Amino acid sequence: MKGGYTGKILRVNLTDKSISSIPTEKYEEFGGGHGIGSAVFFDLVGDQLPFDAFDPRNLIIMMNSPFSGTFMPGSGRCEVQGLAPGLYPIEWFGHSNFGGRFTAQLKFAGWDGIVVEGKADKPVWINIIDDKVTIEDANGVWGMDTWDTQQEVARRVVPELKHGEWADLSNSCYTTQVPAVVCCGPAGENLSRIACLLHGAGSQAALGGYGALFGSKNLKAISAIGSGSVPIADPKAFMDARLWFRQFQWDVDNPREPEKFAQRGYSLINGAPSGGNVSNGSLPLVPARAAACASCPRGCRMRLASGDSNESVCAGSMFARIGSSGFMGMGGGGGDASKMPAILNGKLTRQANDLMHKFGLGHWQLMATSGYISYLHRQGIIGKGKEYECDLPFDQSSTFAYHEALYRLLSAREGKFGDLAAEAAARMAEKLGRYDEDVNSGALRLSYWGTQEHYSSQVEVEWGFGSLLGERDLMLHMMANYPLHWMAMSGNPYLTAEEASKLYAEAMVPYQDDRYLVDYGEGPTGVYSDSKVKQVAWVKHYEKFWIGAGGFCGWRWPMCITNNTADRRGATPQAEPKFWNAVTGDNKTFGDYMELGHKIYTLDRSIWVLQGRHRDMEVFPDYVYDNPSRGGSEMPMFIDGKWVYDAGQGRALDREKTEEFKSKFYAFEGYNPENGYPKRDTLEKMNLKKVADQLEKQGKLG
Amino acid sequence: MPGSKKPDKEAAAKKKFSRRDFIATGGAVVAVDALISTTTADAAPASAAPAPTRYPASKGYLVYDSKKCAGCTTCMLACSLVHYGEQNLSLSRIQIMQDSFGKFPDDVVMAPCRQCLTPPCVINCPVGAAFIDEENGNIRRIDAEKCIGCKTCLAMCPQQPHRTVWNHKINKSTKCDLCLDTPYWNEKGGVNGKQACVESCPMKAIKFVTTPPDQKETEGYDVNLRNDYWYNLGLVENSTHIPPAMASSQRKPGAFKPKPKAKE
Repeated sequence: MKGGYTGKILRVNLTDKSISSIPTEKYEEFGGGHGIGSAVFFDLVGDQLPFDAFDPRNLIIMMNSPFSGTFMPGSGRCEVQGLAPGLYPIEWFGHSNFGGRFTAQLKFAGWDGIVVEGKADKPVWINIIDDKVTIEDANGVWGMDTWDTQQEVARRVVPELKHGEWADLSNSCYTTQVPAVVCCGPAGENLSRIACLLHGAGSQAALGGYGALFGSKNLKAISAIGSGSVPIADPKAFMDARLWFRQFQWDVDNPREPEKFAQRGYSLINGAPSGGNVSNGSLPLVPARAAACASCPRGCRMRLASGDSNESVCAGSMFARIGSSGFMGMGGGGGDASKMPAILNGKLTRQANDLMHKFGLGHWQLMATSGYISYLHRQGIIGKGKEYECDLPFDQSSTFAYHEALYRLLSAREGKFGDLAAEAAARMAEKLGRYDEDVNSGALRLSYWGTQEHYSSQVEVEWGFGSLLGERDLMLHMMANYPLHWMAMSGNPYLTAEEASKLYAEAMVPYQDDRYLVDYGEGPTGVYSDSKVKQVAWVKHYEKFWIGAGGFCGWRWPMCITNNTADRRGATPQAEPKFWNAVTGDNKTFGDYMELGHKIYTLDRSIWVLQGRHRDMEVFPDYVYDNPSRGGSEMPMFIDGKWVYDAGQGRALDREKTEEFKSKFYAFEGYNPENGYPKRDTLEKMNLKKVADQLEKQGKLG
Repeated sequence: MPGSKKPDKEAAAKKKFSRRDFIATGGAVVAVDALISTTTADAAPASAAPAPTRYPASKGYLVYDSKKCAGCTTCMLACSLVHYGEQNLSLSRIQIMQDSFGKFPDDVVMAPCRQCLTPPCVINCPVGAAFIDEENGNIRRIDAEKCIGCKTCLAMCPQQPHRTVWNHKINKSTKCDLCLDTPYWNEKGGVNGKQACVESCPMKAIKFVTTPPDQKETEGYDVNLRNDYWYNLGLVENSTHIPPAMASSQRKPGAFKPKPKAKE
């Protein structure tokens, strides 16, 4: 077995209570993480598609990467896969991931991943202590919130557990670590499609509704703790690589140009600790530490002296802005607090967000759903005395009490309206007969697959196209969003648009000869061009291999540019193969691995096709084509022969040109432009003949 | 251990007691007491303050800042990597523990070896496997070849958690050697070299020093390694503390006092 792997994937069947393993070696060609997860899914149930997410045949796949449990920077995320109850209009084979310590402990326990099949006849949780795996009765845990669940499960795993002391796991295998537990909350138990998985105090697998997938299987939690090793193929090279990487980190004692890079706008991109928690930025500050996921040199989270908003970032720390109608407060990345709209009550804001985590509601879909509920109330469609009776105190929407009532409604499916709203925004709109009207008008901005618009699909097009040609919100901030959008928005960019475009092109192997990869203009090299086809392909391949198969964090990778080096070059594309080869013993180039990303994307796409995907479905709602952009995105654009930063204000996407772009993209990737289906020769070149055969059986070969 | 001097009594102790003999004497605590009384017949009892010349001070120590630690465990993984060529938290000779639901600063415990001036692991090892390496800066070390796996050093380390570390793969005790013996690292370690945890910590929360820290409590080791750049991240020690970067617009007279620079 190669370095980085333990050699076996845990397979748990909740229906017949059998526990077995799958040899990882069988799936090595898919790299790890998402790649192996997709391949396992196809092998186990691909021939039975389509079926529903709540069908016991659906799988919960939680895969490790070769980096899990190592100190590869920013690689601690756990990829969750399976048919996703929260995606729309079809519960696509989706993915979500979460940070923390889970993958590390799963690896130390000796497992490269978990595949859960079937459905338990009563609530259970899975207990993994090294190679000993048991299915435990969830009596007394089912019904608990996510925080209590994790702490109670940890007590059951190691009864003598004390913070700050060694515990004997078995046969003198000691650890000072607490079990890593991931679980669903009441929302998941009640099959709310907004339900997330939670690990630790604030690490969510937020997208896709995977909490409900746990709930549908009567699975409350999975706990992992281990005392084993991650084998490393070339330990010296790995240690050298880790120390080499220090140049790309924010130097906490002596940062580069702090007067510029510690200011607003840079806190999300500079790599400085703690900047992700945006709920503790106003004076007086609550004393806190930067709290990192396993292996991460950034530590974007916080743990506070008040114990609230622990380990939460971004939407998880500011969804509920109690006492404020403004935007989020200042992040921990330093800067001028006077320019930030204050959260009027930071303490209640933090505690309201914690309540969201405790109910097990995924912040990203909760945002869309709660906003839509408010909209429906304003339109007089729901409320007291209406067909959909709803007694939420809408006149107190910025109070803690409102949020508590909202979470309870959505988690418990309380009443006729609660049952409707727990279906999440897209299905709620559909059942009200309002989907076409509200989504196409932009009143409900679900731009892609039932997930809400994140950044402008009209300007920041690689995010929009990357989501549309995927199965959910792309959520890949470090591609161009934080480094470019937020750098330009700072008002004091450290690179000119031309310099940025040059450095990006150099990093984006194998397309490094194209200078226009990050041209967001509407000219011949802009958003509908061959260059954009390459950029979107690069994004999807990077997403599938390095983020998905490598377990990378989208808040740290890719790193095409950085403020932390003198020449502003980021760690991409040098770092990725340097680390991967040192850990696994492989000897491939960055380009080789990107082609593997292409393979994984093609396999995912084939699964979507088996579920019913066709190019005709890959269209944005009308408002993206008809309504001018509201601006807000400053991106590099090549206009009239010059590189500039521009917001693209007033732009709407052109339907015809978007369709032409899609045709070019399908052809570029080896898919049939007529329908978007993968072609046989493309699949066979990737050693995916059996996938081609299955597509052909369903008459869906491209 | 090549090039290391050990007192003769340690060699004698090894001859007298094999692991099998030792285990056969019964419970660990009883056995430990018995051995201390036996092996210290010609030396001061463990409870008495030993003469400084008997336990020469280490020429290197790890101090740390538990308020600066982010809990990423990079130091632990670096430690196990350079010593064993694999990454394993249980084998790491520095331990970092954290509680997701805890409150700062008690949510994190950092536990490196203290290289004690009076080292209980060395004093109480029944076979002389734990020793002071006089040729390498007086680092307190454990010779795995001599260790009989009796776990006495684990029991006798007064720190919580104990800083001697059980290696369950070889059933021996191990401990921090300040990276003197790191076959999987290209750098030279020890008191005149580098330490993997210090070098790899992204928060610079671990530091190598040569002056013996105060031995009484944790304060001598758990020191302030933060400066104003840290506080400017919004990570303050108390709620009256205003980071300098925020002070220009928020400061009232007398409200802000600069924190002292990091001390060793």
